[in-house]
Amino acid sequence: MSIVASGISKRFGDFTALDDVSLEVESGSLTALLGPSGSGKSTLLRVIAGLEQPDAGEIVISGEDATEKAPQNRGVGFVFQHYAAFKHMTVRDNVAFGLTVRKKPKDEIRTRVDELLQLVQLQPFAHRYPAQLSGGQRQRMALARALAVEPKVLLLDEPFGALDARVRAELRAWLRRLHDEVHVTTVFVTHDQEEAMEVADQIAVMNKGRIEQVGGPRDLYEEPATEFVMSFIGPTTRIGDGWVRPHDLELLLEPAAGTSEAMIERVVHLGFEVRVELLRVDGEKMWAQLTRDRCEELELADGQIVYVRAAGERVFA
Amino acid sequence: MTVTDLARRLGLRGLAFFYLAAILLGPLLVVFYRTFEHGFGAAWAALSTAETVNAFKLTLIITAIAVPLNTVFGIACALAIVRRRFPGKGLVNAFVDLPLALSPVVVGLALFLLYGRDGWFGFLGDHGIQVLFSLPAMVIATIFVSLPFVAREVVPTLREIGDEQEQAARTLGASPWQTFRRITLPAIRWAVIYGVILTAARCLGEYGAVAVVSGRLQGETETATLRVEERYESFDLAGAYAISIVLALIAVLVLVAMTVIRPKEEAV
Amino acid sequence: MSTLEIAAKPTRIQSERASTALSLGLVTTYLTLIVALPIAALVFESTNAGARGFWEVVSSPESMAALKLTLGTSVAVALINGVMGTVTAWVLVRDSFRGKALVNAVIDLPFALPTIVAGLTLLALYGPQSPIGINVAFTKVAIVLAMLFVTMPFVVRTVQPVLLELDEEMEQAAKSLGATELQTFRRVVLPNVLPGILSGVALAFAKAVGEFGSLVIITGNLPYKTQVSSVFIFSRIESGDRSGAAAVAVVLLAISFGLLLLIGAIRHYATRHDRD
Repeated sequence: MSIVASGISKRFGDFTALDDVSLEVESGSLTALLGPSGSGKSTLLRVIAGLEQPDAGEIVISGEDATEKAPQNRGVGFVFQHYAAFKHMTVRDNVAFGLTVRKKPKDEIRTRVDELLQLVQLQPFAHRYPAQLSGGQRQRMALARALAVEPKVLLLDEPFGALDARVRAELRAWLRRLHDEVHVTTVFVTHDQEEAMEVADQIAVMNKGRIEQVGGPRDLYEEPATEFVMSFIGPTTRIGDGWVRPHDLELLLEPAAGTSEAMIERVVHLGFEVRVELLRVDGEKMWAQLTRDRCEELELADGQIVYVRAAGERVFA
Repeated sequence: MTVTDLARRLGLRGLAFFYLAAILLGPLLVVFYRTFEHGFGAAWAALSTAETVNAFKLTLIITAIAVPLNTVFGIACALAIVRRRFPGKGLVNAFVDLPLALSPVVVGLALFLLYGRDGWFGFLGDHGIQVLFSLPAMVIATIFVSLPFVAREVVPTLREIGDEQEQAARTLGASPWQTFRRITLPAIRWAVIYGVILTAARCLGEYGAVAVVSGRLQGETETATLRVEERYESFDLAGAYAISIVLALIAVLVLVAMTVIRPKEEAV
Repeated sequence: MSTLEIAAKPTRIQSERASTALSLGLVTTYLTLIVALPIAALVFESTNAGARGFWEVVSSPESMAALKLTLGTSVAVALINGVMGTVTAWVLVRDSFRGKALVNAVIDLPFALPTIVAGLTLLALYGPQSPIGINVAFTKVAIVLAMLFVTMPFVVRTVQPVLLELDEEMEQAAKSLGATELQTFRRVVLPNVLPGILSGVALAFAKAVGEFGSLVIITGNLPYKTQVSSVFIFSRIESGDRSGAAAVAVVLLAISFGLLLLIGAIRHYATRHDRD
């Protein structure tokens, strides 16, 4: 049930959407394709699904070459950002669609659909039409629909992109639980680093049609391979030629070895976290992230002179 | 795209092209050829007879009266349908659509019966107001057949823009007329213009209804389209073709205008 | 709150009421004068001879022949353009090729071109002097041809927006769920597009039933052979038989009204799932 994409390239006119991209997704894992819009993440997902044909490269699903296969023969379940609900069918008929077109026996379809509606908690809405559901319910329906045919891999394109923040957070946790229950190999696309870090086992960070780095959420945060990965995953601030996480900046009241002098421009209290905006003597701006306790301990105030020491500073070529 | 996909797509495209050529373009090209086959001079001679010039004048006069009236009506009607609730709205809707589906000959007959000597409005003739077989009946017939176009174009646009902007204007102190002129009208202007073009095209081309109520007096109540038929019946094919070509050129201008305006209308 | 504002309020409401009443009055008066009264006069005239007289006129052999011919050719035309109009709309929406804007513009030609000119042009290509040797003048084929010409835009222009709105992801979803091309078309595309096609076909049918201008020249107006109902009515008017003309005209009027109701019902049916 693994996915191997190798050497995938895809152009749309003058625009290079994917530039020689290779990616391996382990069987049973939950992988996020993370990147800004236009980075090629959705195109890669659609190439895996067979909804786009790559100009070069191949896709292997469960050890079988799927590059030339039509989407209906790849054994993938695809969930669209805008649900792609069949508006003329009830929730039940939507979920049953994949089984109906495979001409499965009616009893089997009914049992399977009931199970799935239970799984996505939509039993009370089985006879409604998509227009009568909320966004979150529609997306759960789309998920159940994709799962009904027991796909080898489940592909989700910005599944929570069209939902409001609260429903997003709920569905994220729900997707994680669902994956732990059904264990289907899953790849989902997102532009939200927090979403990727919270849900995925493995994250592939994409930029300008290339994969910058693949790794676990923690690896990417702690050991970013490129400037792009570092700045895309978590906050950064510039120090000389390098980059550093703002919480890795230590503020001292006295000069010490390896410190540089800076003036506090503004102290912003954000609750537990305090953000200190600094102006260095060479005129460069940076900011540090402190806990409330540490800030009170140092009695920091606007206009004050402090000495900054950086840990874990990174310089990328 | 797979090979079968491509083949199917090309097949459909070819089919559509063939159909359009056979039904629409082919015939028109032949008429162009026939009109100018004896030179430009012959066509011009056919066009410049007094009767033909008169016929075009009459067509233009009728259009010039019918289009503004139907434009004002169309806008008011669209506003009433979309923005107001009133008893009999369904009926208004049905009557506005009727000219789209009704035979022009039936329209002509209805007017013929209403304004004829024994008709309900026949008394107008007793007071020296000649309606039938003169300009008024032809104008009314033309208004009837071209009635729905402005309203039909404006209704969806009005629905789409909603009434929030209008309400905002009202809360800012604008009167209903000011709101209409400064907010609503600018928002629907492309739909109105599009509707006006359709209306004008329909007016210029009307044949059946006018044929019934005009009496077809040569040089007096003969419009350009009636003239085409008259020339054909008089075995003056060259004359019929020449007038047709002028009307076809107007049609092409209409198409150009429609094409230029359509995307703007969609962008509103 | 100042007294000025208090004083201003009733005036505002009054002026709004006045403008509403004015515009509604204008709309209904105009519609009554232009459309409703003539239609009423027509219906009134047709009832002059009573129900029996009405039926006698309508069921006379010549009138029946014309009605049968009209309905038969209109059905054929509606079916042909239902298919060809849908294909054309599909090509215009889903295909991409050079000159698409031009083809799209040409679709409206029958609408912009006067019907009498349409008849003349069709005669020029498919008449006695046909440069390609096809002569169908004064036959039923000519009627169908002319009706096809004038009703072409109605199907294309009703199906086109429906196809544009059709969510392509819905088809992709169907395919990813294992549906074949045919299954996708039959179960997903067609149910969403069919109401649009049907309203276009109904409108084309209504247009075909009432068509006159393009048929006058090309069909030669031969009773029992190529005389459609609109031409029949016209010849009755010319020969002074007003009640005969009115009776058949009322039949056409009823067909038009019926089709408009049908189109309204289709529209209502098509949006049934969009309402909460």
